[in-house]
Amino acid sequence: MRSIPYAGQIRGVVFVAALASLPSFNLAHWSINIAVFTLMFAVMSSAWNLFGGFTGYPSLGHAAFFGIGAYTLGLWFEHHAVTTGYEPFLMLPLVGLFAGLIGVVLGAIALRTRADVFAIVTITLLFVVQTLAFNLRGLTHGAQGLALPIPPFAAATFERPFYYVLVALLAATMAITYLTMRSKLGLSLAAVRADEDKARGVGVRTLGVKLLTFSVSVGITAMVGGIWAYYESFIYPQFAIDPLITIGMVLMTFLGGRGTLWGPVIGALILETAQQTLAYELGGSEYYLIAYALVFLLVMLLMPQGIVPSIQSVVRRRRRRAVVDAPGPPPSASSSDRTDVLTRDAVVVEGPR
Amino acid sequence: MHALIQGLILGVLTAGVYALMASGQTLIFGVMKVVNLAQGAMVILSAYLAYGLFTSFGVDPLLAIPVTTVAMFILGVAVQLAFLRPLHDEDRSELSLLVTFAVALLIEGFMSVTWRTTDRSINTSYANSSWSVGGYQITLVRLWAFLLSIAALGVLLLLLNRTRFGRAIRATVQNPESARLLGVESNRVSAIGFGLGTATAAAAGSIYGLLYPFNPGSHYDLISRLLSIVVLGGLGSIAGAIVGALIVSTSSAVVAATISPAWSEMTFFVILILVLLLRPQGIFGTTGRGAI
Amino acid sequence: MSFRVRLHSKFSALAVVTAVALLIAGCASSNSSSGSASSTQPLVIGASVSLTGDFADSGKAVQRGYQLWADTVNANGGILGRKVQLKIVDDASSPTQVVTNYQNLINKDHVDLTFGPFSTLLTIPASQVAKRYGYAFLAPAGGGPDVFAQNLDNFFFVQPAPTIKSGDVFADYILSLSKADRPKTAAYVELDDPFSAPIAENIRARFEAAGIKTVYKQVYPSETQDLSSVMAAVAAKKPDVIVGGTQSEDAYSQVKSLVQLKYNPAFMYQSNGANSPLEFPKNVGPQNTAGIFSSADWYPGSKASGSAAFTSAYIAKYGGSAQTVDDSSAEAYAVGQVLQEEAAKTGKIDNATIIKTLHSGTWPTILGNLSWSANGAPNGSFNLVQWQGGKLVPVYPPSVAQAQPVFPKPNWGG
Repeated sequence: MRSIPYAGQIRGVVFVAALASLPSFNLAHWSINIAVFTLMFAVMSSAWNLFGGFTGYPSLGHAAFFGIGAYTLGLWFEHHAVTTGYEPFLMLPLVGLFAGLIGVVLGAIALRTRADVFAIVTITLLFVVQTLAFNLRGLTHGAQGLALPIPPFAAATFERPFYYVLVALLAATMAITYLTMRSKLGLSLAAVRADEDKARGVGVRTLGVKLLTFSVSVGITAMVGGIWAYYESFIYPQFAIDPLITIGMVLMTFLGGRGTLWGPVIGALILETAQQTLAYELGGSEYYLIAYALVFLLVMLLMPQGIVPSIQSVVRRRRRRAVVDAPGPPPSASSSDRTDVLTRDAVVVEGPR
Repeated sequence: MHALIQGLILGVLTAGVYALMASGQTLIFGVMKVVNLAQGAMVILSAYLAYGLFTSFGVDPLLAIPVTTVAMFILGVAVQLAFLRPLHDEDRSELSLLVTFAVALLIEGFMSVTWRTTDRSINTSYANSSWSVGGYQITLVRLWAFLLSIAALGVLLLLLNRTRFGRAIRATVQNPESARLLGVESNRVSAIGFGLGTATAAAAGSIYGLLYPFNPGSHYDLISRLLSIVVLGGLGSIAGAIVGALIVSTSSAVVAATISPAWSEMTFFVILILVLLLRPQGIFGTTGRGAI
Repeated sequence: MSFRVRLHSKFSALAVVTAVALLIAGCASSNSSSGSASSTQPLVIGASVSLTGDFADSGKAVQRGYQLWADTVNANGGILGRKVQLKIVDDASSPTQVVTNYQNLINKDHVDLTFGPFSTLLTIPASQVAKRYGYAFLAPAGGGPDVFAQNLDNFFFVQPAPTIKSGDVFADYILSLSKADRPKTAAYVELDDPFSAPIAENIRARFEAAGIKTVYKQVYPSETQDLSSVMAAVAAKKPDVIVGGTQSEDAYSQVKSLVQLKYNPAFMYQSNGANSPLEFPKNVGPQNTAGIFSSADWYPGSKASGSAAFTSAYIAKYGGSAQTVDDSSAEAYAVGQVLQEEAAKTGKIDNATIIKTLHSGTWPTILGNLSWSANGAPNGSFNLVQWQGGKLVPVYPPSVAQAQPVFPKPNWGG
């Protein structure tokens, strides 16, 4: 695997190119629409994974930043005109930066705690932000909701700008993840996850690396929130700051495999398309929630590590068996076992094989 | 001033039922190091069970408590055996959040199928009785709810302090390793500890159903409150759960009465964040092992 | 060895790309099917309602209303000879799902017409999708001010008046009383929600202009379980009239708290919750309903066009009695009625004709006569209903009244 140094990059480029070329197949609106929502969750679970997956801190508050992004964009364009329709997209980096800065402040508070308590503090932050969105009526219009400009795109190609922006954002997020995994930062994060006290003991600047990834992670989440708000064209506090959005991000990451490059993307592809399609095709059954919960439980019990690591370990086992069966050099000499040791510790150097 | 005192009375009376739910929650954490996100759903499920017994057989919700407690104890043990025990130790704390959330969804789905999604209230003959004491209103239901919660808490504490099994639980909370060396079967303790935690939800559910209208989605509001209480008090501490419940419900009742209900939820979230800034482990929490 | 590894890595990357491509190819191929309809084909109408989640029961009531109308029409030979076929999908009260659902209905299943969603907060994103593809959008719920602020020409709110004006009939009634009978002081307790607080605020503006003094006003968020401290503050001010901008659960809590506080105002109005003939007495106790006012468009025993037929058909299909018919079902049924009359009048049933035709004239429905302004806001008004003898009866305006309004309000428990 390590003998082909550019395999990861090539795979990434092919994936992004394939995604970017999809609209030129003249897809129906409804399928691009589903792709838009799926990409939103692919970006968000990748962003969640960047912090939650690598450090092991289960943040349940990311939806607060989704909402901050949605409201920041909405409030800005309450006072600024939209003519070409692309202005909101150009504002996104500022939205991300703004939310990232808020993330540094809130992260500094929340990161004083660990594990379960951190999960609860972050979900508390989420409710605080939601309450503020409801109660600061002068600013947010509270429960009455906030109208955004209607995107002036032609009906025939209405979804495309949203789609391309999301593909670009997904590419950026995956590139950040990839670079993090290959850098000293990735090692520091893995050390935090394995044993934080020991990591600090050996000189890892734990608070610094945690804060940095947290603010990048929530900044990206906020950018998706902005895109979502513009796409929906009207937002309410309970939808923009919804615990179920965080739950979705966490679930997709866990399903695909936390601490991996491709896991969150695969998790989002499966879950979001399944949810959007199934709710439409089979919705209305009272048993929907029960079925959803049961599938959820089964996945957790059968694949606690997620799809990508589970496939990896199956592949590894097969390979070992093949090595034992085949005449040749002893298994310890194979290069693959070296990567095994690394993946075991969640320092996943490569994506899925 | 009048509003302030009225709010205080209300807050203290309501604190009882929250202390009860939260002590179950914190017990489960103490024994298993699992945050049970299904605790709220279990409270609402018990409220529905009490509602069912009341509307079908005319059983008073407070008299139904022994029945619902047994039912919820069995359910709790079953959930622990089926979904939590199979998890590996190393990722139990992360995965248990998701697993118990899925259990909450499962219960919510079951409740919407069985009782539909309209609001239900349990209207007993005494539901609207109240006294006026020195110009302050005290409703009979709230007084009952308070006394009964205290009684149930008392029973729980007796179980933990005076029985052999209770001592096994406390030993596990304080130090699982040495408890195991002393011959405590940790699997059994975990299962029964989880069951006890959900059994307190049963008692709390009957009382909750008397106080408020509820629907299958009510557990979302409840769980965020419960989590704040147990974290505020310190995860794993029953004394902490009681103090946390008092702080949360009096502060929100006082703010609702004197300023506006719009800011009452916010108040205890802010208190929570401030406390955690000073003591990340909560008021009664210990940095090392837990203690009940 | 290394060959196997590379094969695997390539295979998995390929698998992902192929899976995506296949998915999309499947989508693209179904895009080519055309949606043209001849007159013998069924008339397919799509709608997304909340069949799961918090609003599932009201969502199902809407579904029953749509279905009852379709059955009634089909029993009489359909619309312009075309059988009506409904496609009702679930949005689980999610703003994301509702966009997907209308996208799918319009561009995947090529339905001929769309009806509006329930729940109310989803109406705006849904109406935008319909507007983009030139679909008329007849909505039985979600008539908040922001919907009309969009100025969509394809949008028609099928209720007698915009939601925020539904309480105006109570103000009309109170201000029609003689100076001596009129309340002098008022308290307003409002749920923070686009369909509740604004109703009470509208009444407050009218009352204040007429010299009725506001002694208390409070807005509470939807997750407030405990209204007893708020209601205690209300009772302490001893207002003559209590105006509740309520939804459901909170309406019950307000009443229960007042009963416990033993405070009985001369007039009490609740915008919603109190107008449910079935749920309200169940939750507050039938003895505590007497004298409470609310607003309604349809109510049991309504004399509006087709109401008797609707009621008997409803009972025949779903059982129960007139008292158990949800007004959401009636509003959904009225949507169908409007469509039917449009077809009868123009002889055509397509989106452009519907949009053009409904902007003028009045349209008799079981909710009364409806008409719309350019932005889809209805021009009529609601009816005032009051609980009398354990039943909900229309009492104002006199043209629809079946009994005299009772005041002052009888004491709790009687």
